[in-house]
Formats: sequence, structure tokens, C-alpha cells
Amino acid sequence: MKILPTMEGGLRIDPETEADWHILRAIILDANGHDTDLAARLGNMIENEAIADDWKEYIIPDLRESFSDDLHHVYASIETAAAFPVGDETAIWITRADSSKWYSALNQARLALEEIYQFGPEPESDPKNFSTLRKDALIRSRVYCTLQGLILDHAWSA
Amino acid sequence: MSETVPIYKAKPYVAKQPPWNVIVHDDPVNLMGYVALVFMKVFRYNKAHATKLMLEVHQQGFSVVWTGELEKAELYVQQLQLHQLKTSLQISE
Repeated sequence: MKILPTMEGGLRIDPETEADWHILRAIILDANGHDTDLAARLGNMIENEAIADDWKEYIIPDLRESFSDDLHHVYASIETAAAFPVGDETAIWITRADSSKWYSALNQARLALEEIYQFGPEPESDPKNFSTLRKDALIRSRVYCTLQGLILDHAWSA
Repeated sequence: MSETVPIYKAKPYVAKQPPWNVIVHDDPVNLMGYVALVFMKVFRYNKAHATKLMLEVHQQGFSVVWTGELEKAELYVQQLQLHQLKTSLQISE
């Protein structure tokens, strides 16, 4: 997979193999992979009973809708690029305007993977003793993290 | 000749609401640069203050990033959670 910065402050992703497409499509699957969705997990941080009830009724549905919109946007970007190649190119474009949706989707995926697999902070997580499933998840998490770093450095640096 | 007596009007008693703390907790996922950017965006903090708070989160495991009235605190928590930061709300002691 090649990831290049664009002149307009966005990124261009060129998936080169089936494995690249698999990792990109896994963003959505990973983000939705936890038993409890992110909105509810964040909502559970509110412990005061009176506030927690309001949170469940009003805030969590808003968070859920926003996170879901971001995932839909990324899903549509990936599948549109896959379905409508321009010549031989199947590039996925992340514009500066939609970079926050991509960042959100990647973050949702990484937060879910971390909660499921408990990798821990990066320098300490040693994949040597990981199961294949956990190792694959760590690789995906690191790819997502790299992409987030590029968005931070390139799309949001100004 | 009468003496002028100042008249003091008593202010109506208003029960003071306790301030609330907005607390951001550390997690191994959110990138440090992103957390600082979110503080700058949500609270309009300058880069130095946002970075200081971000480092507190990273090193201490949490940071009280804002203290004040409940209504505003709830709004800030909502915005921070919208940016996927683990955020809680507690009465300030």
C-alpha cells in the first residue's frame, strides 16, 4: 500500500494487493467488533446517577450517530474506489475536509482492538508471544495508527 | 437636621452550586498530538497549555482539564467524548 500526501493537504491511498484492501475494509469491521459500541463505552464514564440517565437518553445516541456517520463515510470511500477504478488506478482520496471522518473511523477501530486484545502502549507490546489472531489485529492497529499520524502531520498541520 | 442613613439592600440568597471537574483519562490509543489538538479546539487553550494538560493525562493517568458550572462542564464532556477521549465528570472538592 502506498500513501502519498496531496498538494491540497489530503492523502492518497493506493492499495496494491488484496491484503491492502483487506486491511482497509477491516477498519469498519474492527470499529464494530466490540460487544459494546464506543458511544456506550464512553457514556459509561459518567458515574453520577442523575447525569448518567440524561447521558443515556440524549448524549449517547448523538455520539452513536456521529461515530456511525464517520464509518459510513469511510466505507463509501473505500467501496467507491474499489468499484470505479480510473484506468488502472483504484486510489482512495482523503481530502482535508473529510480527514476528521477518517481519523475518527481509524480511532474507533483502534479503540475497539485495544479493548479486545489489550496490546498496551506500543513500545511494550511485543507480538512475539501473540496468537495469530492477536498478531494480525496488532498489525492492523499499527497500520491504522500510521495513517492517523499522516493525517495529523499532513492534513491538520496548518 | 436629619442624618442621611445609607440603605443597604440585601441580595437574595442563591444557593451556590458546587463546581464540577472535567477529567480526561489516559488510554493507550489516542495519539498525544491529537489530544493536545482537541484541547485547543474544544477549550480554545493555547498550544503550551494544551500540551501541558496532555502530558498530565499521559504521565499521571488523568488530568482535570476544566472546572466550572455543571451545564458547561456537561457540554465540554460531550465534545471531548465526541472526539473519542475518555472523559468523566466529578464534583470538585
